[in-house]
Amino acid sequence: MSGTLSFAQYTLQEVALIWMATVYAIRIWWLTRFTAAKERQAPTGTGSAKPTRSIAYSLGNVAMPWAMESTRKRPLYYFQFVLFHLGVVAAISLSFLIPYAPAPWLEPQAVQILFRVLIGGAFVVGMIRIYNRVSDKHMRAISTPDDYFSLILLTVWFFFAFLAAPNDLSRGEGILITFFCLTAFFLVYVPFSKISHYIYYPFTRYYLGKTMGRRGVFPMTRSKPVS
Amino acid sequence: MANVRSQKAEKVIGRMKMKVNRQMASSLLACVHCGMCTQSCHYVLANPDDPTYAPAYKADKIRKIFKRHVDWTGRVFPWWVSAKSLYTDEDLEELKDTVFGKCTNCRRCSVNCPMGVDYGVFNRMARGALVSVGVMPEGVAVVSKDQWETGNQMGVLKEDYIETLEWLSEELQEELEDESAVIPIDKQNADLVYSINPREVKYDPRTISDAAKIFHTAGANWTMPSEGWDMTNFGLFSGYNELGGSVARRLYEKVEALNGKKLIISECGHGYRSTRCEGPNWAGRDVKFEMESSVITMLRYIREGRIKVDKSRNPEPVTFHDSCNNARSCGLTEEPRELLRLVCEDFREMLPNRAENYCCTGGGGAMSMSEYTPRRLKSGKIKADQLKATGAKVVVTSCHNCVDGLSDLIRHYKLGMDVAQLVNLVANALVLEKRAVVVPEPVVAPSVTEELPLAGRRIVVADDEPDFAEFVAMVLQDAGAEVFTAHNADTAMELARKEKPDLLTLDLQMPGKTGDKVFVEMRTDPELKKVPVCIITGQPEMRALIYDRSVPPPEGYMDKPVREDQILFNVKKILKIPHHDPDDG
Repeated sequence: MSGTLSFAQYTLQEVALIWMATVYAIRIWWLTRFTAAKERQAPTGTGSAKPTRSIAYSLGNVAMPWAMESTRKRPLYYFQFVLFHLGVVAAISLSFLIPYAPAPWLEPQAVQILFRVLIGGAFVVGMIRIYNRVSDKHMRAISTPDDYFSLILLTVWFFFAFLAAPNDLSRGEGILITFFCLTAFFLVYVPFSKISHYIYYPFTRYYLGKTMGRRGVFPMTRSKPVS
Repeated sequence: MANVRSQKAEKVIGRMKMKVNRQMASSLLACVHCGMCTQSCHYVLANPDDPTYAPAYKADKIRKIFKRHVDWTGRVFPWWVSAKSLYTDEDLEELKDTVFGKCTNCRRCSVNCPMGVDYGVFNRMARGALVSVGVMPEGVAVVSKDQWETGNQMGVLKEDYIETLEWLSEELQEELEDESAVIPIDKQNADLVYSINPREVKYDPRTISDAAKIFHTAGANWTMPSEGWDMTNFGLFSGYNELGGSVARRLYEKVEALNGKKLIISECGHGYRSTRCEGPNWAGRDVKFEMESSVITMLRYIREGRIKVDKSRNPEPVTFHDSCNNARSCGLTEEPRELLRLVCEDFREMLPNRAENYCCTGGGGAMSMSEYTPRRLKSGKIKADQLKATGAKVVVTSCHNCVDGLSDLIRHYKLGMDVAQLVNLVANALVLEKRAVVVPEPVVAPSVTEELPLAGRRIVVADDEPDFAEFVAMVLQDAGAEVFTAHNADTAMELARKEKPDLLTLDLQMPGKTGDKVFVEMRTDPELKKVPVCIITGQPEMRALIYDRSVPPPEGYMDKPVREDQILFNVKKILKIPHHDPDDG
C-alpha cells in the first residue's frame, strides 16, 4: 500500500469525519436554539393514539410504504428510494471495512456481489434520478444547484464505490484513492448540503408525529371503500 | 436599486425570523426536493402543466427567505441553495399570491411528505407575516376587521343575533307545540354552551334551529352565549396569531363567565380546529372546561338513547366530505361516519376519504378571496370528479366553509347534488313523540296562494347577472311572491319607488351605480328608507362598504353562492314569516 492510499483511507477520512461530526453538532445545537412550540390542547381523536405510538409511527413512516398515498401509489419509486439508500449504507460501510475490517471480511465472493449489487443498483437509481430531475418540469422548478450537485456527487461516488468493492490492489491503487478522496470530500460537503436531511428527519418526524398524534390523526387511517 | 429593501419587506422578514419555531425550522431545513408531495395537491392535479402549484415550489418561496436570513448555508452561499430575500412591495405581492392564492393550507402534502415537512404550518406563518404589514387579499382584511371589531367574522350585530335566536325560539315552540322549547341565552351553570358560526345567523339559521331541536329533545341543559358566541377564527386563515388568540380568549372567557361545563362547537372545520386545538396555544392559556364537536354530542345522544332517529327519513344516497381541518388536523373522521350510518339509509364513501380526502377548495379562507375564484374553481375539478363518482344525491359535510365551497363546485360543474350538514340530517331523522299522537285535522282545501309562505308579498330582485336574478325570482315566485327584477341600479330604484316592495334583494356589483350606493340612497330616501334590504353578493370583501356606512345596516346579507332554501329562509326571517318545514306536515 502506498503512502498516498494510506493517507487517503486513514488520515484523510478521520479528519473529514471529525469535520462532519463537528459541523453536525453545531447544526443540531443551532436547531435546538429555536423554541419548541408549547402544546396546550387536550387530545382529540378517538383516544387510541398515544403520543409514543404516534411518534413511533411517524418516525417509522419511512419503512411503511403503505402508510402514505404518495408511496403507496408509486411502488417503483419507493423501491428506488430503498435501493438508493441501501447503496449509501453499503458504500459508507465499504469506506470503513476496507481500511479497518480484517481482510477476510471482504474476500468471500458473495459479500463482494452483495456490495456490488447494492451499490450498482444505487448508481442506476442515481442516473434515473438525474434524468428525472433534468427532464421533469416539476422537478426542474424545485431544484437548486445543490440538488443537482449532491445527486451527481453521490452517483459518481457510487460508481467508484462499485469499482472499489473488490478491494483488489492488483489492478492499481487509482480506484481506491479516488473512492477515498471522494468519500472525504463527501463527508466535508454533506453538512452544508441537502444530503444532511437525515439529521433533520428525526426532528420533523418527531414533531409531526407528536402534533398529529395529539390531534388523533396519526397513526393515519387509510381511505376505506364503503363496505 | 435592487438592494434597497422596502419598510414592509423589512418587517415581513423580521416577523418571519421571530415566528419560526423549532418545528417550522426543521420543516424548512429538511426538504430534499424529492417531488413526492407534488401529486398530493389538488391544485397540481388540476393544473398539471404549471409547476408553480407544486407544494415544494410554493414552500420554497418561504424557504428561500429562511435560508437567506436564518440558515447560514444560505447566508454564505445564497446562489448555491437558491436563497433569496424580499426587497420590494412587488415581492410581497408575489408571495401573497402563493401563500393565499395557491394553497388552502389543507395539509394533504404534509401527510404525504416522506420527510414529514409540514408545509401548511409555515405557509400559515408566512401569511401572518404578510398580514402584519397589511399585505393580504381584500376579503381577508375585511373579515379580520369584522372579527376584531365586532367579535364575529361576519359583522353580525348583537341585536340581530339575539333577534334571530328569539325568532328561532318562537318557531321551535310553534313547531314542537311546546312552550319550553326555547333557545336559552346566557343561562348560568349550563351543561352545554353552544357556539356557532356567524354564517348560521346570517343565512343558514336552520342549522341553529335544527341543533336547538336536538338539544331540546335530548333534554339537554344548554345555552347560547349573547356574546363570544363565534367559534370561527379568521386568525387560522390569516395566520395572525394575535387575532387567533383574541378570538379564542373571548369564547373561553364567556364560557367561564357563564360557568358552563362544556363548550359545544357546531359543525365547522376551521372553527373546531381553532377553538378546540389551536385556540389554547394562540391564547397562551390552558382551558379548564371540555370542548366537543356537535357531531360527537349528537352521536352520544343517539348512543345513550336520549334521542331516537329514523333513518328512513333520509332515503337519498349520501356521501361524506371530510373537512381538512376536521380530518387532517383534528382526527374527526369516524364519528361523522357512524352518525351518518345511523341517520341515513344509503351512505357511500367517496375515494379517497378520511385524512386522505381532497380539499373542497374553499379551505384556508379561500371563499373570502374572490380574486382567486377562477383558480379555485379550476382546482375543484378533482373534488367534482370525486363527488360525481359516488353517484350520491347529497354530499354531507361538517364544515360551513366546505358547504359553500362544495355548493360552488356543484353549481360550476353542474353536478346536481345538494349539500347538507349532519345536524340537518339528524334533525330530519329525529323521532319526536308528538308526531305519534298527531291527529290529522279535517282537510280543508286552501287555495294555492293561501298555502304559499310569501303569498301577497312584493319583492324587487336587483342583480346584473340575468341567470342569478332569474333563479332568485323563480324561488320567490314559487313561494308565492310577486317579483320584479332589475338588472341595473337605476331600474332597481325606479321599481322600488313604483312598486313599494316588501323587500329588495340587492347585488353590490352592478353596472353604473353600484349596489352600495343604491343602498345608501334608499336608506336616505324618506319614501324608501323603511324598505327592508337583503344584500346578495359574490364579493364578501364588499361587506365593509355596507356596514361601514352611517345608515342602518341591511336587514339581511347573503354571500353567493346561495341555495334555494337559504334564500327562502332569509327572506322569511326578514319578513318575519314563521318557517314551517313541509316534511313536518
